[in-house]
Amino acid sequence: MDIKVKERQAADLSPMLLAVLSNRFDGVVREMTNTMLRTGRSAVINSARDFSCGITTADNDLFATAEGLPAHTYGLNMQTAAMCEFHDDIAEGDAYLHNDPYSGNSHPADHTLIVPVFWQGEHLFNVCAKAHQADIGNSIPSTYHATARDVYEEGALIFPAVRVQRDYAQIDDIIRMCQRRIRVPDFWYGDHLAMLGAVRNGEKRIHDIFKKYGASTIEQFVTEWFDYSEQRMRHAIRQLPAKQIERQGFHDPMPPMMPDGIPVNVKLTIDPNDGIIEIDLTNNIDNMDNGLNLSEACSISNSVAGVFNCLPSDIPRNGGSYRCINMKLREGAAIGIPKFPHSCSVATTNLSDRLLNAVQSGFSDLGEGYGLAEGGLGMGAGFSVISGKDARHGDHAYVNQLILGNNGGPASPECDGWITYGLPVVAGLMYRDSLEISELTYPIIYREIRLSEDSMGAGRNRGAPGARVTYGPSHHPMTVVFAADGQVNPARGVRGGLNGNTGEMHVIDAQGNTTRAPSVGAIELEAGSWLTGLELAGGGYGDPLDREPERVLDDVLERYVSLSCARDIYGVVFKGEADNESLVVDISATNEQRAQLALGEQAR
Amino acid sequence: MSGVQHSGWRISVDTGGTFTDVVVADAQGRFTIGKAPTTPDRIFVGLRAALVGAANSLELDLAEVLRRTDLFTYGTTRATNAIVTGNIAKTAFLTTEGFPDVLVLREGGKFNPHDLSQPFPKPYVPRRYTFEIAGRINSQGEVVRPLDESKIGVVIEQLRAKRFEAIAISLFWATANAAHEKRLAEMISTALPDVPFTVSHELNPILREYRRGSSVAIDASLKPLMQTHLRELEADLREAGYRGEILISTTIGGCLDIGSVIAHPIHTVRSGPAMGPVAGRRYAELEEKTESVLVVDTGGTTFDVSLVREGAISITQETWIGERFTGHMLGIPAVDARSVGSGGGSIAWLDDAKLLHVGPQSAGANPGPACYDQGGKLPTVTDAALVLGYIDADYFLGGQMQLNADAARSAIESIAAGLGISVEEAAYSVFAVSNETMINAIKDITVSEGIDPGEAVVVAGGGAAGLNIVPIARELDCRAVIVPRTASVLSACGMQFSDIQTEQSATVATRSDNFDRAAVNSALTTIDAKLHAFAAVLAGRGFEQHTLSYRVDAHYAAQVWDISVPLTHNRITSDGDELNLVEAFHAAHRRIFSVDDRASPIDFLNWTGRVSVHLPQAKIVASGGDGQMQPPSRQVWFDITGPEQAVVLRGGSLTAGQVIAGPAIIEEATTTLVLPRGTRTTLTASDSYLVELVV
Repeated sequence: MDIKVKERQAADLSPMLLAVLSNRFDGVVREMTNTMLRTGRSAVINSARDFSCGITTADNDLFATAEGLPAHTYGLNMQTAAMCEFHDDIAEGDAYLHNDPYSGNSHPADHTLIVPVFWQGEHLFNVCAKAHQADIGNSIPSTYHATARDVYEEGALIFPAVRVQRDYAQIDDIIRMCQRRIRVPDFWYGDHLAMLGAVRNGEKRIHDIFKKYGASTIEQFVTEWFDYSEQRMRHAIRQLPAKQIERQGFHDPMPPMMPDGIPVNVKLTIDPNDGIIEIDLTNNIDNMDNGLNLSEACSISNSVAGVFNCLPSDIPRNGGSYRCINMKLREGAAIGIPKFPHSCSVATTNLSDRLLNAVQSGFSDLGEGYGLAEGGLGMGAGFSVISGKDARHGDHAYVNQLILGNNGGPASPECDGWITYGLPVVAGLMYRDSLEISELTYPIIYREIRLSEDSMGAGRNRGAPGARVTYGPSHHPMTVVFAADGQVNPARGVRGGLNGNTGEMHVIDAQGNTTRAPSVGAIELEAGSWLTGLELAGGGYGDPLDREPERVLDDVLERYVSLSCARDIYGVVFKGEADNESLVVDISATNEQRAQLALGEQAR
Repeated sequence: MSGVQHSGWRISVDTGGTFTDVVVADAQGRFTIGKAPTTPDRIFVGLRAALVGAANSLELDLAEVLRRTDLFTYGTTRATNAIVTGNIAKTAFLTTEGFPDVLVLREGGKFNPHDLSQPFPKPYVPRRYTFEIAGRINSQGEVVRPLDESKIGVVIEQLRAKRFEAIAISLFWATANAAHEKRLAEMISTALPDVPFTVSHELNPILREYRRGSSVAIDASLKPLMQTHLRELEADLREAGYRGEILISTTIGGCLDIGSVIAHPIHTVRSGPAMGPVAGRRYAELEEKTESVLVVDTGGTTFDVSLVREGAISITQETWIGERFTGHMLGIPAVDARSVGSGGGSIAWLDDAKLLHVGPQSAGANPGPACYDQGGKLPTVTDAALVLGYIDADYFLGGQMQLNADAARSAIESIAAGLGISVEEAAYSVFAVSNETMINAIKDITVSEGIDPGEAVVVAGGGAAGLNIVPIARELDCRAVIVPRTASVLSACGMQFSDIQTEQSATVATRSDNFDRAAVNSALTTIDAKLHAFAAVLAGRGFEQHTLSYRVDAHYAAQVWDISVPLTHNRITSDGDELNLVEAFHAAHRRIFSVDDRASPIDFLNWTGRVSVHLPQAKIVASGGDGQMQPPSRQVWFDITGPEQAVVLRGGSLTAGQVIAGPAIIEEATTTLVLPRGTRTTLTASDSYLVELVV
């Protein structure tokens, strides 16, 4: 198969129109995104921007996603396909609620609203808004139920493309069901309205485009845009060396169920001749009796996100570029296609993060300049779900996920890791809560948020540091639910780069006694006690002995790296003092130290 | 002139990175423009040259012009440039213990999820210049941990030993209880009396530790520099014989006296773009267009867009210096003027699957577009405009610069060959695709304010505005465009219309279902006292007329992004007042987001008052010629389908009231107006071209 850039045909759109229309459709998604961000109620949406908007075609190809989260890039198409399969009376003015991980959704916490877009009586597109909810009525006050044996213990309300609007009017039954079952129903409803606003806005904007350009031009555009995206993707894959890569990663143990950790196995086959990458996930364990199983959408999304991370970043992510990816998935696998009723409650983060890391770090086997290290991960203290009663507001109940932790980003061939990275599946896109806003909104007080010295994976380029996060309740006791990872298995370096630190969490009681917290579970904090967590740094890329000494000097001055780490890991020795800024690299001592460390490396 | 005693001439100066623009308004409101290269080492050298240029046009000497003038408004990019280049004072950042990384972490966020090849931006103040202060106040203003003064002593010794030139103080919850900040500031001013500092509760008492801290760090870091700069300017002006009032243009589109600006130089940042809508509002008013006004200012490399709604210029709390997420947030209210990197120098290119892109790379002024013949070979938007017949190679910048039409053509040829289309089609495509960037920017700002661009009038300024404003307006369904003949110096013109303005704010977090009327009114009383004190000083100098206005930033419970709602009174005294405020918020939310949630309580946060002390406003009189010249014509591509014969008029030859039907081109010395078929253009009595789009 050899697809050349094809010659222009008479029926083709003008190059001008192709460029203009692509901008217009991106504009639709951008406007939807902006509406969601500014009107969403829960911090998960309006601070963490844990949501994505997108457009699929009426035949359910993913069409436009703009700045969606990597974890959400794929699946909207499967969800709209489910809508079409389940309903034979889809009409203008409908809206559907979908959160079913067994028919295309990421995980139940991501409510997705779908609006079919009609033009002159014909169903031509679907607009979608997918957003992580503050609560979904799980059996525990968290949207991540890591220990749920199955979907029943998980307890979420599942909506397999359920109609929630007809003729632009709300079907109140569904709203009432949700309000009875979901904690903080007012937040949920506020977010629901934000999503509705976004999709209806998107529908209106697509109508504007049809009005201006007509249906046949748009249909031609869709065809050409998919072809264009495919060409970009193929061209990029053709620049890669041919290779088959196998990569294994491990999620931390989940005692008592998975005492040795959960393996993540990926086989990548890069075929530059045909411009195809095959991602084989079939060699993974069977579905587990916990909430960590991946949905099909997450298995695909995060594999492909790992690939996109290693290719030019301006390739459109849609059904066209996806033509160049062959996915091999196994039904009933923990990483693959989940078998009902296995729970996918935590599908979007833990194993997804490991999967994404495995793919992007696997690419580094292609040689110098390819791939990435592993990114810091784990939803520890700074990403936990807090709940309780707020004494300042008449004991009003609250539940919300904190988004102020910080796992550091992976080193790349070009630079050090991105500091406000968060998780591989969000890759820095999320916003951080303002601590003051968080303290105003919830009865919580923070003691410390500090990037941690020497935590990052050293390398020619180093990972970004993780943070130390400490907080406690300001009045009544607070329940904190978490499903961390990375307390045993760190984010790994590649091509000689070192691993980042491992995470940890402790409870400090009112007397100052410290006890280690489990990595998965729920704790209750009394007023006066604190939860403190050390989060993960990203892995390094390349040998730390190859890092320019001046950059190590800057890291020391800026207190990211200690003097001893500079000497022992980077082999850089200084003269002068950091405190009065007289510190300079001692070139001859550094050369000597680096030669010695290199010898030691060889001996090992 | 509204009772203000000043009736003399008014001079405004906009010193940009490259050029210094001067506008001299005489007693009749006639504008005379002067322009000269900016001289960064001694700003007055270039400023004087521009003034002399204007004086020459008036056939007066400089001393006489200065003698007749009693208001001099100065705008400078000095502060903005200092932030961008990092050429600032050595500044220490003092923060609450436990939170040293406020300026590093910012508020998160990133463009492009799959691009991990960009380094993380450095904080505004290095981590090693950050000092932690022990002591903690909570969200209710209670002291959770007392201030540790002995530790502060140690910090002060380090500040002294390390010779810091400025100090920024921003502690958690100083907005709820400023005691710790006050004590800290007191200790510092006693121990280090010569080091300027800024304290967060004074400068910018808003919630959110990053943006408050960032504003404080920026302000402190500019103090030594701006103090020197403005004092020097003042001395030079006095030396040249000027005796009148000197005002400095500000971030909110007003101006302030030198003393106020030296106390808080952050208020000069991005004052240039802030003046665009001030000018645009006035130009629209003069044409009796009082609906929403979109103001665009197109230069060679950037495109600024701002919005005026019901006479009010849109203000934002989220202004980034540099790129969003990776720059530094200004943190104080600023005119919402959004800049995108797009202009005549933007370069057209094809990607590996032959999709046409324009920008973000720019040929800038050097080497510039291919047609400049200064070594640039890459196709730019200006080259496309030349190929399409919009620009006359022999009359660019009024004939000051000869363009090479062949060079433009061969540059565009590279695009045409790649796409398999004609050179003119390629040129038109480049032009249309470059317009998309500007259309996006306009849509973004109208969407975030809930405005339908189709109901707005567009005021277009900047040297390149006239080339593409009509197709852009048409794409947005706008019906009228105003292009002032002085469009090329929009910011300097804006200063001619600006008032002296200052704002005061306070944080009182209160919820609509449990509204703390006493606390709000007490904050408003404090705000009022400060505003009145400010106005009293100016009244003493002859500026007697002023107006006050108030607004509050609010959101539905648990939303985090605020909307500004104007208050109708300066106090909330009755249930009716509370209800009005709540209704105003619902209405604003509905306007912007097309939904409201009447069941939800509303959180009110930041309360702001503004005083505008009115200055005399120039009226602008048409200059114009006899309208008798027989115009030539040339072939122009207004559309991708083919060229049309268009008349070409010189701006100076038209008379007020004259109407020109498109297709036509109007060439001014500093800008060119491209008028396709379906437009009807009038030179108005206020010296603007009013372009009506008649489909």
